[in-house]
Order: sequence, then structure tokens, then C-alpha cells
Amino acid sequence: MNAVARKLCMLGDFGVGKTSLVARFVRSTFSEKYLTTVGVKVDSKEVALPGRTPCKLVIWDIAGRSNLDALNMTYLRGASALLLVADGTRERSLHAALNLLMQSRTLLPDAVVVLAVNKLDLVEQWEVAPASLAELRRTLPVHETSARSGEGVEAAFADIAARLTA
Amino acid sequence: MSGLDFSAIPTRVERYLRELFWQRVHPLLLCFDPDWRLRDVHGDAAHYGIDVDDPAHGVQGLRDLFIGLPLDEPQDVPFVELGNGRSAHLHLIPDENLFHVLLLDAEIERDRRRVQQQLGHEEVLASQAKSKAIGQLKQIRSELERQHARLEEANALKNALIATLSHEFRTPLTSIFGYLHLADRRANEEPMMRAALHAVRRNATYLFTLAENLLEYGRSETTQPLLNPTPVDLAALTRDLDAMFRPLAEEKGLAFHVTLKLDDAAEPVFDEVRLRQILLNLLSNAVRYTRRGEITADIVWRAHTLSADITDTGIGIAAAHRESVFTPFNRGGHAGSKGAGLGLSIVKRVVEQMHGTLGFESEVGSGSSFRVVLPLAQVRAAARACDATAPRFWLQGRSVLVADDDPDIANLLAALLGDLGFRVRLVADAQSAVLEAMAGRPDVLLIDVELSGLSGNAAVYKLRSRGYKGRIVTLSATATGEAREAALRAGADHYLTKPLNVEQFVHVMQQAASSGWNGGGNGADDP
Repeated sequence: MNAVARKLCMLGDFGVGKTSLVARFVRSTFSEKYLTTVGVKVDSKEVALPGRTPCKLVIWDIAGRSNLDALNMTYLRGASALLLVADGTRERSLHAALNLLMQSRTLLPDAVVVLAVNKLDLVEQWEVAPASLAELRRTLPVHETSARSGEGVEAAFADIAARLTA
Repeated sequence: MSGLDFSAIPTRVERYLRELFWQRVHPLLLCFDPDWRLRDVHGDAAHYGIDVDDPAHGVQGLRDLFIGLPLDEPQDVPFVELGNGRSAHLHLIPDENLFHVLLLDAEIERDRRRVQQQLGHEEVLASQAKSKAIGQLKQIRSELERQHARLEEANALKNALIATLSHEFRTPLTSIFGYLHLADRRANEEPMMRAALHAVRRNATYLFTLAENLLEYGRSETTQPLLNPTPVDLAALTRDLDAMFRPLAEEKGLAFHVTLKLDDAAEPVFDEVRLRQILLNLLSNAVRYTRRGEITADIVWRAHTLSADITDTGIGIAAAHRESVFTPFNRGGHAGSKGAGLGLSIVKRVVEQMHGTLGFESEVGSGSSFRVVLPLAQVRAAARACDATAPRFWLQGRSVLVADDDPDIANLLAALLGDLGFRVRLVADAQSAVLEAMAGRPDVLLIDVELSGLSGNAAVYKLRSRGYKGRIVTLSATATGEAREAALRAGADHYLTKPLNVEQFVHVMQQAASSGWNGGGNGADDP
């Protein structure tokens, strides 16, 4: 069965682990070293869904920032889904992710959106309160993830694929 | 100066510029029909890792980059990292029935930007981390001050409660042993009954030792020992030990000998409860770790000094474990065996409290010999009172889910919680704890923080972030304010540390079970 290809953009502040999540999901790798992304890096992976057409996620790993500028808007065009990424140890990165979502809505009003709160392996250092995520879950699918351990990563991307093919 | 007039540029310069452009920008032009069939190629496709002869893996990657974008409008996508890691500016140029994809090398520019961006980001991250660390230090200082005050108050309460609890435990167990003795004498002709009574005796002995050890361990090491020296009937004590351990030893086919020598006319004065605790633990270990051979206990009262030698022909303790054998919850010397690993640490502590000495010799495979020497104690003018009314815990039928990957600790917790009246369910990992808690809604979730794989804190966080309202108590081996704060931030209502302070544990579990699903919590319970 031919897979349906959909563009997915990773959106979030710098250093939250967008590139690491993609590396974990696509290549099952993780690097402790932080290397900033310039521009965009594109990867793809096919996700098999029981009883449905497979979904090929073309993942745009966009350089992290807290506000969308014209360049980011260029990258977002044509996207069907957004994976918002926040770092649980930096509460302001969650605010940044939600801010980016608001800004992107003008360009992508119908895009599927899922929030990944990353660095679950450092949960002892999290600033984001569980109650905040419980509240967010009312309006947004939320996944706690760890690119380092792999916890929740597959589930977050599979959730997007399922929503894209629903 | 006006713009450059290209028509006026000398041919040689124009050629130079063209070469420069090609060298630095490496333009690659690919022409496609509307169905993405490649019509023409100009430039070095390999430079960008594109194999034009392999449409599936070469051109497909490019095609993916334009998903969702109209092909009849110009597109400009800067700084795209391609499959071979090289960065390029991508342009899509519509041209009647065709469209062109133009790639221009952005590698040098990307690298330059990356260096600047990396420095900037690292600076911001470091600054944020520094602010956070300063905030944490301030918090730690004020927390330490609060803890200090709380500790002083808790210490006084703890001593009083332990005294009453200890009394409450001992009384019914003493009764159990007494009636066991009577029942044993009348069950001679009934093998099944005898076997049942042996099982009851074995478990009651274990429970007695366990209860005594836990209560002892519940006392803070810094607390002055509450010794209660009284004249001790050593003959009666010897008979009790014989009655308690001979059946257990014989059940395993072991020979068992207890001897007593009274060479001093003076009356032996000791804290009898502590003395029994020492001998019970040593004999209990001897029986547990001996498969064949014999166990002897030689007690001597001579020159105002009591000595006891407990010798077995058991599995022995390796030299490597000699130092750690007295560490709480350490069973290195008897790896793989049952027990909470508290016995020897308790013995050591109690012997020290009684100003005595404890030593042992052991050989793996041949057995161990422990020697305790205790000096005569002074009788206190007034024995401490311990007949205060014990607290009652009405927890019958409450449910608790225990998540701990150490079976010994899990079973110990289950035993304690069962005694309190809880219905106990055990799981061994955090993921199961999340699923079971969401599905079963226990009154209390008791979860170890240091679980392998997903940590206990992560599980608590996941539950809370899914709106879980049940009471959660976390148990950790890390007794720092920082660890406690982290657990409470993750969503725990109470934080306890190992080794378990039984009085505190009981109090916290009672409090958690009473506050129910919507009750308040989120308190620090451990100093």
C-alpha cells in the first residue's frame, strides 16, 4: 500500500530537543552534545497504522526560536502537522511553544497539532507543573517524551500520523 | 557609485566572476515536468548527494521538500540541510509546462551562522541555568532552616510513639508464642496439625524479629537509646530461645544446642528486650542460612560480663562482604536469600547502645561464628513508662498499590501495609504503576523513586499530568531536600526516605488513606 506523504514541522524554542526527537524517531540515535540547527533539516519516516493507509511523515526540523519570523513562515508553508516541542526543565519554553502555535495558526489554521514536553529523563528538574499539562490536555494532545531514553517519542509521532490519516 | 553595468565588464572579469560563482555556489539546476519526471540536469548533482539515476532515492528527497506547496508559484527555501549533510538554498521556478529546481550551496554561510548561533544559544542556556541554581540555593537554605525546626519537634513525637508501638507489637506476639507452645503439646498425634503449627511458629518468629527490627530501626541513630535495664532470668531466656528455635532447626534437619554457664553470683542486669533482640537476630540468621550441620548458642555469665557465641555450619560470609554485612538493607553476604537485610545492622546498633562488642569469624561454605560481649548494666532509678494508649489505625479495607522493583522491600512494605489493614497490590515497574493506578484507582499509590527504566518521579508526573487525583506517597533512598522537592513537584503528596522510619511511615500512610481522592497533601514528611 502506497503511503500518504504529509509534511510535519517541528516547532519550539532552541535547545528543547527537536533535533534529538527526530534523531531518536528516525534513526534511533541520541547525542548528548547540543548542536544548534541552522535553517531546516528534512527527514522522513513511514508510520504503519493498523487498518489504515501508512503515513509517510516528512519531518521539517526547523531552527528553534521563540517567535516566528518570515523565514520560519517560509518553512511552515504546506505543513499538515506541527509537533510543538517544549523542554520540561524550562517552563518558558512551554510558553514559547504555545506562542509559536498561536502565530502559526494564521498560516496553518487546520494543521494537526501535538505537544511534546521533552526531557522526561530529567523529570526531577522539571519546572513545568503536572497540573499545567493536565490543563493543556483539555485542548491539545500532550506527550511527555525523552529523546535520551526514547520514552514517549514513538507514541508522539504515531499520534500525529493517526490524526493525519483519521 | 551607481550599480555595476554588466555589459561594460571586460570579458576576462566576467569569466572570472562566472568561475567564482560556480566554485562558491555550485549551482545545480534540475528541470521537471508537472509529474516530477526529471527532464534535464545542469550542474554537479553528486555535490548535493542527489543521484539523478535513482529516482526513488535521489529525486524523491527533493520532491518531499515541496509537499503541500503549489508548483506553479516561485518558492524560495533557504538553508535546507540535505541528505548528505550539505546545506543549500532551494528555489522552485515555474516555467510554462515545466518547473525548475535550483540548488545553491549554503555550506559556508550555514557554518558561519551556526558558530554565531551556537554561542548565543549556549550563553542564554548557561544564564538560565545560573539563575535557576541561585534560586535553588536560596530555597535549599530556607528549607534547611525549616527542617531544623521540624526535626526537633518530630524527634520528641517519634520517641513517644515508638515506645507505645513497640509495646503494642510485643504483647500479641508474646501471646501467640505462649498459645503455640500449649497447642504444640496437644498436637503430638496429628502430623498435619504439627506441620501447621510449625509453619505458624516459623512465620510468627520471623514476624517478631521483623517487627522488633523495624521498630528499632525507626529510632533515629542520633536519639539517646531508651534502655531499660532490669534483672534478667538467663535460664528462662535460654529456655525461650530453645523453645523458639529448636523446632525451626529440627524442621530443617539441623542439630541445635543452647548452653548456659552461670559463673558469677551477681545478678545479671540488662535491657532484656534488647538482649533478646540481639540473640533472636543472630539465631534467626543462623537457622536461615544453614542447610545442614548444627547451630550452637553458648551463653556465659562471668565477671559481670555476658558473652554469647552463636555458631553455625551455614553458607558463611565472603571476605568481600565483611564490611558491608552490618549495613542496613544489605544482604550481600547472603545474596539471593530472603529477609529484609536489617538483622545484623540492628544487632550492631543495639550492642553498641549497650556498650558491648560484636565480632564474627566466617568461612564461605563452612559457617559463621558471632560473638557478643555485654557488660553489666546499671539499673535505672525509674523504668520508663510505656503503657500509654497506642494509636489505632482504622484502615481496614483501604487499597494501596505498591510499586517497587526490589521484591524484598516490596514484600516488607506489603507486610507492613497488610498489618495496617490495607488491601495491597504489588507492581514492579513504573509503567505498570501508571496503568494500574489509572485503572484501579487505589486509595494510595506507594512508589519507589529509584525504579529501573522509567523513574518513580516520572510515573508520578505522568499520572498527575493526566489528572490523577489519588494520594501518592513516594519512597526514596535519597534523603536530600532537593530530591524531596523534585518528588513533590512531580506530584507526590508525601515523600519518605529509606531506611524506613516505621512510625513516620504508618503516620503518612494513615494520613494519605484518610485524605482520600480529593484530599489535600503535598507535604514533606522526611527530614
